[in-house]
This record gives sequence, structure tokens and C-alpha cells, in this order.
Amino acid sequence: MNPDAVEEKQEEGNILVWLTGFGLLMAMIGIFIYVPTERTEGVIQRIMYFHVPCAWLSFFAFFVVFICSILFLWKKDREWDIYAHASAGIGVVFCSLVLITGPIWARPIWGAWWVWDARLTSTLILWLIYVAYLMLRAQSDAGSMRARYAAVLGIVGFLNIPFIHFSVLWWRTFHPQPKVITNEGIGKGMDPSMLATLGLSLFAFTLLYFLLMGERVRQEKLKDEIDRLKREKLYSS
Amino acid sequence: MDNLGFLFAANVCVWGGIVFYVYTLKQRNRALEKDLDLLKETLSKER
Repeated sequence: MNPDAVEEKQEEGNILVWLTGFGLLMAMIGIFIYVPTERTEGVIQRIMYFHVPCAWLSFFAFFVVFICSILFLWKKDREWDIYAHASAGIGVVFCSLVLITGPIWARPIWGAWWVWDARLTSTLILWLIYVAYLMLRAQSDAGSMRARYAAVLGIVGFLNIPFIHFSVLWWRTFHPQPKVITNEGIGKGMDPSMLATLGLSLFAFTLLYFLLMGERVRQEKLKDEIDRLKREKLYSS
Repeated sequence: MDNLGFLFAANVCVWGGIVFYVYTLKQRNRALEKDLDLLKETLSKER
């Protein structure tokens, strides 16, 4: 890559850092200052403004794994495998945050940290599938077979997400019903200030995803370059 | 203002988790860049 292109890419990265930082700051102001306290749940309902964005980010990350895995199996291009691996790591981190913040909200509202209902259990299964995906990548030797097995797991794992989404509609669950996309329309089940705060938080977390993705992809490419040079060194000696 | 402790705990988990993840990512990338530079230097010396 020529120096001008590197500089341009760094500048783009800096803009994204500032934009994400600003977005997260505005979301925090919205969550703790702007949005009114919910009448029935009280102050604890504010957890929703980062619990839902964490869930959105993890689902989006797993969707990227799904698409990139299909593209990798089709095109056999290492680039797609890098994107899938990078996105899976981010997805697992944010899915973990969903599984931590959910019980913190549930304890005072339900009186229990965890219940084995459809939404919670299917989310835990999703997390376990992608932890297995990362373990598979970490344990087996580098090579196209590892990437192929991981791609298949990445595709199969994503099939759980529609199940998670519809679980609260198909079964009677403890988990709250959807508030943003309802039968009456988008955002009809929420106060406009709450919807705006949630929207801002979702936007900021989406920017955060792209920022983290940039770093993770860079990490994978650095590892590849190191491996290539090590092989070169081995053959030359 | 009941349950403020739970809200605080959830916040610490989310923001602490994000900051820790970004920090470890940056550290790992820095270490890899260092390794890459060292490897390039060794290879150029050998040639």
C-alpha cells in the first residue's frame, strides 16, 4: 500500500473513532439525562438502552459471519475468512454482555437471575455455538480445512437468530415482548423520547462495531503477514 | 430510586467490558506490529 493510501486510511479511522466516541457520549446523555424514568420498572429499565444495542451488535456481527462464511466457501478467498473470524470474536463479546446485563435486569424485575425460557435459552445456545466456533479456530492447525469447518459452523449458528427473535412470539415467555417492531408499526409501542434514545444508542453501537472490526481485521492480517515471513525465513535458512 | 445498584453494576459490566476489549485489541495489535518489524529486520539482515 502506498504512503498516501495508508495516511488516508488512518484519517478515515480517526474520523470513525471520534464519531463513535461522540455517538456513545450522546447515547449516555440520552440514557441518563434526557430519557424519562419508566413508570412500572423504574430506573432499572434504563439497562434496556444498552442491553438491546449489545444484542443488536452481536446479531449483526453473527450476520456478517454468516455472509462472509458463505462467500468464503464459494470464492475460497482468505479475505472473507478473515472478516468472518474477526466478526465472530466481536459477536461473542457483545453476546456475553447481553447474557450479563439481562440477568442484572431480571433479578429485581422477575426476582430471579435466570429462567430457562425460550429467549434466554436460545441466546445462551447462540453464545455457546460461537464460543465453539472460536475454540475450533484456536485449537486446530491453520489451513483451509479449519477455515471450512469454521465457515460451516458460522452458517449453522446464524440459523438460531430468527428462532431467538420469534421465540417471544411463538411461546409464552418471561422476556418482554418486542417494543420497537410491533404489529401496530415501527416504534408505536414506545414513548418518542425512549425510541430516540434507543435509536441513538443503536447507531453508536453500530459505529463501535465497525471500529472494532477494523482493529480485528488488522490483527488477523498482521498474523498472516508474520506467518508468511516466518515461512520465508524457514525456507531461506 | 430503587435498584440503582443493579443499574450501576450493568453499566460497569458493559463499559468496563468494552474498554477492556478495546485495550486488549490495541495491545495485541501493537505486539504483533513489533514482532512484524523485528522479523522484517532479521530477514533484511540475512539477505
